[in-house]
Amino acid sequence: MSQKRPKLKPSLKEDERLKAELEKAFGDTVEVWIPRAKRMFIKVKPGDHRKVIQWMRDNWDLQHVTTISGVDKGDTFEIVYHLYKYQGYRTYPNVKTEIPKKDPKIETIVDILPSADFYERETHDLLGIVFENHPNLERLILPDDWPEGVYPLRKDWLPEGVE
Amino acid sequence: MSTVKVPIGPQHPALKEPINFTIEIEGEQVVDAKVRIGYNHRGIEKACELRTYVRDIYLLERVCGICSHSHTTTFTQGVEELLDEDVPRRGLYIRTIVCELERLHSHMLWLGVAGHEIGFDTLLHYTWRDRELVMDFLEMISGNRVNYAMNTIGGVRRDISKDLIPTLKKGMDTFRERCEYYLKLCSEEPTVLERTQGVGVLPTHMARKLGAVGPTVRASAVDMDCRKDDPCAAYDEVPFEVCTWDSCDVFARVAVRILEMIQSCNMIQWMLDHLPKDEIRLKLKRRVPEGEVLSRYEAPRGELIHYIKSNGTDKPERVKVRTPTLANWPSVEYMLKGCYIADVPIIVASIDPCISCTDRVTFVDVEKEKTWVWDSNQLRRYGIEFYKKKRW
Repeated sequence: MSQKRPKLKPSLKEDERLKAELEKAFGDTVEVWIPRAKRMFIKVKPGDHRKVIQWMRDNWDLQHVTTISGVDKGDTFEIVYHLYKYQGYRTYPNVKTEIPKKDPKIETIVDILPSADFYERETHDLLGIVFENHPNLERLILPDDWPEGVYPLRKDWLPEGVE
Repeated sequence: MSTVKVPIGPQHPALKEPINFTIEIEGEQVVDAKVRIGYNHRGIEKACELRTYVRDIYLLERVCGICSHSHTTTFTQGVEELLDEDVPRRGLYIRTIVCELERLHSHMLWLGVAGHEIGFDTLLHYTWRDRELVMDFLEMISGNRVNYAMNTIGGVRRDISKDLIPTLKKGMDTFRERCEYYLKLCSEEPTVLERTQGVGVLPTHMARKLGAVGPTVRASAVDMDCRKDDPCAAYDEVPFEVCTWDSCDVFARVAVRILEMIQSCNMIQWMLDHLPKDEIRLKLKRRVPEGEVLSRYEAPRGELIHYIKSNGTDKPERVKVRTPTLANWPSVEYMLKGCYIADVPIIVASIDPCISCTDRVTFVDVEKEKTWVWDSNQLRRYGIEFYKKKRW
């Protein structure tokens, strides 16, 4: 057995095929890139994320939401929906969208993929992003007596005693 | 009959991640269940942003006391991918061996807890004795029993010495024998069968819809395993099978975990036989170029992901951690609906949560405005007595 580990370069054929399918369905409204095999990033406009996710659910039988990440980028919030497609070729599409920090609102995807429920509540709690039409956008992580309007994962919030 | 709301939890000072359930009961049956988490939110994601990558490893190791190595594995391999470096194969093998040893002791611990919850304490004492074997091996390899501090960016920090290999291999033979015994025992022992078969059923379509992960989803006949689907570390070279079971109940979760332990024993022996002879680690830069990575690993409890975003400095921009237990709570809510109060402890335990939520139970009778408190022992005892009486 050779001692040097060969560089991991699996074929991107299947990923490219899925990328082509997406681009065919949505054209210029989506920007798709594949950093490596089994990873796919899809950038969409805030309103379009529902359409893309619904299309993936209907066409790829994608049901699993791994999690939702919110990133504070200064003037905007980036929301990343990490999805997991495990029917057929298994891959991990990540749908990205950006919303303004001043008006952090985005339409929920719970009605499309119910497993997004807890992750939307978590992101709402920690970053203050409002998922519109979510059936139960209540506090999940932070304590009940945590002050309203204070969001610990925003960059302008620092824990006490940290400079 | 009017329903009664029963809050369960949240505090248990001895364990991490306390949790609160509000279950609504009608007589003996649970009609609704709601979860409230976050009682021990320590702000680790925020703390990661304020520290360097190297310090983050030690911080993330402390997210969980049992799957500590899983967190560092996920984090370090993510950072290695951002740095675009290949880790020496011996390092990856040792990392994987510790991963599998961790799975062994985690599943064995769970089997004992499950035995305890159904009033079968002999199983608890047997399994926890056997678990010590693995704990000793982990101590021999890393010097620690819990937070092994094995992983570092670029490989592992300690080698496995030549003298240790025969001991480990022999130990795995013993451990596999014990697992086979437990598999036989659990499929024949009436106590186990009565309390686990047909209890906490999670049908395949619901498991998929609710986003369950790990042994919970595999026990619902879905062959989802990150080690196979998206191989990291040395998993692309090690032969193993994904274990599933199709009865979708608590018994299936017992069976899947025991079968996985047998697989892990085989994997560890195979890796010790094929241990490459190169370096264990690579010295890497402290500054990580700008980028983002989604790092995944199959922790003992299921799919664990870290989403790491770097900004070109020595501190990450964002570290997002999704632990498998969070993904399994919606399934627990589903499984609790329609079960008996007596089955609540075993159903909650069946996903192997990092907590003991049935620690303190307050029963509130809404109609009579009457409140009484049960601790976890009383609830457990209630469950056992209930089934004793039921055995008419």
